[in-house]
Amino acid sequence: MRLTALLSMAAKAAFPRDYRYGTNRPWTIAAQRLNPPGKKRRKVFVEPIANEDWHVLRGDTVEILSGKDKGKQGKVAQVFRRRSWVILEGLNTHYRYIGRSGDYRGTYIASEAPLLLKDVTLIDPTDRKPTDIEWRYTEEGERVHVSVRTGRIIPKPVYQRRDGIIPQQWKDGPKDTSPEDTLQKTYTPALKTLEEEVMEKMNIQEDRRPRKSYWY
Amino acid sequence: MSAAVASRLTAVCRQFQRVLTVSSHTQTQYATRAFSTFHSCQQSRMYDSWRFRSLMNNRAVHTSCVRKGLEEFFDLPENWGEQTVKSGAPWTAKQLRVKSNEDLHKLWYVFLKEKNMLLTLEQEAKRQRLPMPSPDRLKKVERSMKRLDTVVEEREDSLRLLQTGQERGRPGEWRRNVFGKTFWYRFREHPIPWYLNSRYKRRRFFEPSHVAPYTRLSLEKYLRSKIRKEKREKRNQKSLAAMFPKKTALASDH
Repeated sequence: MRLTALLSMAAKAAFPRDYRYGTNRPWTIAAQRLNPPGKKRRKVFVEPIANEDWHVLRGDTVEILSGKDKGKQGKVAQVFRRRSWVILEGLNTHYRYIGRSGDYRGTYIASEAPLLLKDVTLIDPTDRKPTDIEWRYTEEGERVHVSVRTGRIIPKPVYQRRDGIIPQQWKDGPKDTSPEDTLQKTYTPALKTLEEEVMEKMNIQEDRRPRKSYWY
Repeated sequence: MSAAVASRLTAVCRQFQRVLTVSSHTQTQYATRAFSTFHSCQQSRMYDSWRFRSLMNNRAVHTSCVRKGLEEFFDLPENWGEQTVKSGAPWTAKQLRVKSNEDLHKLWYVFLKEKNMLLTLEQEAKRQRLPMPSPDRLKKVERSMKRLDTVVEEREDSLRLLQTGQERGRPGEWRRNVFGKTFWYRFREHPIPWYLNSRYKRRRFFEPSHVAPYTRLSLEKYLRSKIRKEKREKRNQKSLAAMFPKKTALASDH
C-alpha cells in the first residue's frame, strides 16, 4: 500500500504555491521557461468566481468589451479557470515568429492573447447583442443559461472533442459493448460476497479451512 | 569430453520433455474448462459483446491443446499496422454497479486480457522506436478496472457493515510510536501469537519518558501552524474582496 501511495504521489504533478499559470500547458518547455525553479514574480490576483457562477464555456460566442478588438464577436477556443482567462479564435492577436533555428527566422503567425473574463460577455444568439446571463431552472429541472434582457434560453455550446469523436455519429467497434447490454441490469443484491457467488456459479467446492492465524 | 557433454545434453533434454508434457497436460485441462464456461456463456445470451472483448469471438475457443492462446496477446489482425485504432468510452462506475458479481468477475478478466494486449503493443512499439497507436486505450482500460475494483469494494464494505458492523476489512488500532506520534497501526497476519514472537516484542508501541515533553511541543507547533494558515486565508480573502469589490445590482458588466 505504501509503495502505491508513494507512486501516486509522484505521479501527481506538484506545483509550488506561487506557481504562475500561463497559456502553455505545465509540462511543455515554454511553461518551464516561464517558471524556472528559482523565480519569484509578483503574485497575480484573480477574482474568486465560484464554480457554479462560471458562465462562459468552450464553444460559446462572446463579444469583447475592451481592448484592441473591442466590439468584435468570436468563438471561445480555450478557457483558463485559474486566471479567469478566455482565448477567442483569431481575435486579440499579436504576431510572432515560430520555429526559428539558426539563420531562418521562422514562420510569422498570429497568436491570440488571453482576455479576462470581465472583458467579455455572452451574446444572445437571436439578436446578436451582448446580454447579462443568469443560471435558471426550467420546468423539467434543467439548469440553463437565460439571457436577462430578453429572457430567451441560450443553448449549451457544441464543441468538438479533442479525439474527434462525435457522440451522435459513433458506431460501435468489434470490441465495444452496445448501449443496451451496458445498461442491462443483472445485479440482484444478496447477502453473499463476490467470491462466494462466483464459487457457487462455477461449482467450486472449497473444503479446506484456513489455519488459525493471529492478527496483531 | 564430448561424450560427457552429449550425455549431459540428453539428460537436460529429457528433463525439458518431461516439463513440456506436464505443461501440455495442464493446458488441456484449462482448454476444456475454458470451453465449458464458454458454452455456459453461450446459453445465457447476456454476454453477446463486451467492451474490449467479445466472448462470441471464435479466437477464444481452443480446438486443440497445442495452441497456447498466444494470439490473445495481440490485437485483431485488421488493426495491425494502423496508426490509430478507434475505441469507445470506458465503463463508468454507475454502469458497473448494475452488473451482477458474476458479470463483474468475467469483465475483470476481459479487461485484464485487453490490458495485457495493449502493454505488449506498447512494449513492441518501444522496441521498434515507433509511436504506439492510440495509447489512450490503455488509460481507458486502467480506469475501467479501477472503477470495477471500487464497485466490488463498495459491495464488500456494505455486506461487512451489515453483518458485522466493522468499518474496515483489515483490523487495526490507534497506537503511539517511539517518537510520541499517534498513528493507525494496521495488523498483520502471523502464524504464532504475539507473546511468542520475539521480534514483535522488541517493537515499542509506547513513548519513553524522555520523549513526552516533545509531544506537547509538537502539538503546540501544529496548532500554531493551523491558526497561522487560517489567519492567512482570512487575510487573503479580505484583500481579494478589497481588490474586487462585489458588483451591486445597479452596476452592470457592459
